[in-house]
Amino acid sequence: MNRELYTKLVDLYAGYELPAELEDEMIVAAGNDPALASDMLTLRAAVDALQNDQGPSFTEESFQRILMKLYARGVDLHTKAPSPTHLQYQLPIQG
Amino acid sequence: MAEKRWLHALAKGDPAALGGLYEIYGERIFRYAFRMLGNRSDAEDATAETFLRVLRRSNELRADAAFRTWLFRIARNLCIDRMRQHRLLELPNDAHDNGTEERTALKITVQQALSDLPADYREPLILCDLEDISAKEAADILKISVPALKSRLYRGRRALRDKLGGALEKVL
Repeated sequence: MNRELYTKLVDLYAGYELPAELEDEMIVAAGNDPALASDMLTLRAAVDALQNDQGPSFTEESFQRILMKLYARGVDLHTKAPSPTHLQYQLPIQG
Repeated sequence: MAEKRWLHALAKGDPAALGGLYEIYGERIFRYAFRMLGNRSDAEDATAETFLRVLRRSNELRADAAFRTWLFRIARNLCIDRMRQHRLLELPNDAHDNGTEERTALKITVQQALSDLPADYREPLILCDLEDISAKEAADILKISVPALKSRLYRGRRALRDKLGGALEKVL
């Protein structure tokens, strides 16, 4: 296969979309082509870095704050999650 | 199965239905909104507003329609509105990682690089690479064709790699 085609397949290689035989073939071709090898290696590393990103944590505080925002907008929302402690008991100041 | 049950209940006006749907999708919508908007406070507002709209528009739901696609589309529109309202330049402030310093630095850099990308590139990366949504569903959410989605995805990955630059070399 020619180099031009391999260059076009780098995006698929980086996203793990190539069949195993074709991926092996590209790795062999990259052994003799430093530019192709660099393109393959760095693009896949970028995809890996992105896909391994755990993202922001959805904390209990965020979960409850979103519920509070919905209650405040008049939504009668029922969840299985326990209510936060400060909402479980009526404090004197709340009347 | 739980989703279908809650959607059926929502159509009947059961107040527990929205809570059930929030428990299934709340975290994903919050993460998506956080990545789009870049901070927790705006992400919480957008998530609450998304579920409020689900309730208000529940009559638009059809039994055969893909609820998740519809839900992400609502969240996306709200995030875009919010981004238009005020230009958000604040970086996510609660990035943390248990790995090495290099990986922690890379994670922060990934978030920075992602937030620096044009929306046309950023959105396919968030949906396909971060939220693990199929190309077909992501294309439906963005209301573009699958080839257009793939083109933006591939260009976005290359743009992200260019922005990561040196940080990427440290972990290779």
